[in-house]
Amino acid sequence: MTDGGTESGVEAPATGGFDQKAANTVDPEIPDDSILRGRNVIKEYETGDQIVRALKGIGFGIAPGDFVAVVGPSGSGKSTLLNLLGLLDIPTRGEVSLEGEDVAEFDDAERTRRRKEVIGFVFQSYYLIPTLTALENVEMPRMLDRTPEKTRERATELLERVGLGDRLDHYPDELSGGQKQRVAIARSLINDPKLLLADEPTGNLDRDTGDQILDLFDELREEEGVAVVTVTHDDYVAEAADRIVNLIDGELRESGGHAHHGDSGREHRNDATAEEAPAQTDGDGGETG
Amino acid sequence: MSLLRRLTAQVPTVVLARRNVARAKTRSVLAVLAIVIGVVAIGGIGVGGEAFKQDQLSAYESFGGTATVSPVFYQDQPELRTFDEQDIQEISQAADSATVIPVRRVRGLIRGPDGDTIVFATAQGIDDPSRFYETEAGEIPSNFERVAVVGSAFAESNDVSVGDQVRVGGEVDESFRVAGIIRQQGRGDPLGADRSVFVPNTVFDRDGYDEIVLQADVQVAGIEAVSESVRSQMNQRRDRVRVTTSASRQEQQEQQFEIINQFLLGISAISLLVAAVTIANTMLMSAIEREGEIGVLRAVGYSKFAVVRLLVAESTLLGVVGVGIGAPLALLIGAVANQLLIGNPLAFTVTGLSYIALGVVFGVLTALVGGLYPAWRAANKRPVEALG
Repeated sequence: MTDGGTESGVEAPATGGFDQKAANTVDPEIPDDSILRGRNVIKEYETGDQIVRALKGIGFGIAPGDFVAVVGPSGSGKSTLLNLLGLLDIPTRGEVSLEGEDVAEFDDAERTRRRKEVIGFVFQSYYLIPTLTALENVEMPRMLDRTPEKTRERATELLERVGLGDRLDHYPDELSGGQKQRVAIARSLINDPKLLLADEPTGNLDRDTGDQILDLFDELREEEGVAVVTVTHDDYVAEAADRIVNLIDGELRESGGHAHHGDSGREHRNDATAEEAPAQTDGDGGETG
Repeated sequence: MSLLRRLTAQVPTVVLARRNVARAKTRSVLAVLAIVIGVVAIGGIGVGGEAFKQDQLSAYESFGGTATVSPVFYQDQPELRTFDEQDIQEISQAADSATVIPVRRVRGLIRGPDGDTIVFATAQGIDDPSRFYETEAGEIPSNFERVAVVGSAFAESNDVSVGDQVRVGGEVDESFRVAGIIRQQGRGDPLGADRSVFVPNTVFDRDGYDEIVLQADVQVAGIEAVSESVRSQMNQRRDRVRVTTSASRQEQQEQQFEIINQFLLGISAISLLVAAVTIANTMLMSAIEREGEIGVLRAVGYSKFAVVRLLVAESTLLGVVGVGIGAPLALLIGAVANQLLIGNPLAFTVTGLSYIALGVVFGVLTALVGGLYPAWRAANKRPVEALG
């Protein structure tokens, strides 16, 4: 919990903890097409009269098409990180910027709007609304937009795409876990997000169903350049990612990913130099270059 | 796309709210019930009270053209406690066309046929009761002497029937045969006949009269004009008489009803307050139960305002349903009250209906206000925590 690491990290800003492309380049700057990036991100919580530092100054960058798995023991700050990535929260110190703009500058309404435009959420427990059909659940994020026909068209399309074209009018309690998660993914895509945040997306699913979800992620990255960041305990999911980021005690260590899924022809780098990184830039998170 | 779908898509909040309300059925039903009770209390008491008021005030109609004149009592002139013959003459002159009916009251015990003392009754001397009254039993003899006629309430509560003996004590101290029982008069009667025993003025052993009833001949002059004339004639130097018209007594009565009605409405308003608490509690529970769901709404881009709107729409919906049930019930209660008291189920007054409207407005408002705090709390819950 020292600030030292944080301060020292300023000079080597956010060399793309998550960012594969940044890792490749000599230039330590995060490329311009980063959707989201963070520098020296610190997040503290007050619990009683104690201040807990959940993230201890990490850096990251997420580019279109990335598939990053964040793994780590519970309590390591995964949820905190996911909340920051999802603009559900802002850092205590440091900077998280969305397409070049500091999210701390946004007020709540603006953050909500940006979140809607850029980010799709998939939750472990799906969080489908039980009173709405599969189709309506997918439409839900856009229900207040007064474009019912366009929304319905798109929602139908998405459900067909995730293989639920024949389940449009089913309520969540009439769907299996895998089907619910696919509805949730379709819902996360209704606003054509650039970044999909998935919290244990296969947590409640069997292996086959989990595979379907992972295939779906690959397809989305390949066809639409959607970046996927997933927080997971599941090594199987982690191995499917391009890169694995270890979050341990609020600090990042990147290790290489394995491309078991969705071989899109892109290079899946395995430069596992990140292991050394924490030693050099303690707090700034895993450097991969 | 169907027309229905296109319509409902215009009010997505209401559609979502309706389904959410339908989700926890028992809880919603109880919340609705609270509103129903509030609306029925306000509307029912309002409209029922109106019917009661109308019924009571209708008693004044048959006495519309009357006024009572009573002496103003001065300590230094105890002899002016009553009207003497000269006063009566003066008043008669001032009253011009109106009929002057002098009345004596006796301060003494009245005993019924079985010898029991009758407390809540007055004995009054009057020359010709048939001028005002008709009987429901027996008759008022045209030559009113040596007999008594009694009011209906007096007869009923003391089990007096025609032919019985009634003893009037005090200065009269005499027994009378009951010749007739006067039909019910109600509160409008300046002489309060219902609880009275009328005996001839001649049985009194004195000259003074306690009160004078003026009855206007509306063809010539209204009672207001007559009263004014009496007042100005008699009260020239100092106030000797107090003239009270039936209309002003009616007004007083109306004001009393008004106060009672306001009081009852105040009490029923408390029931709506309780309803507001119930709704707030219902919505709080609902919001806590759906914390994760609301967190998702926030996560997928629903603004705080959208969440507040959704939850307030839900609570308001409870109010609207409650009012939808409560208002017809209140109308029904009003119709029953109208039937019982006035004899016409549809005899609603504008005031009566406006109480129901008040119940409707406050029923919906209550639900809306009750939903505000839970909605605000749910919307301000950070999605992070909600999705925990």
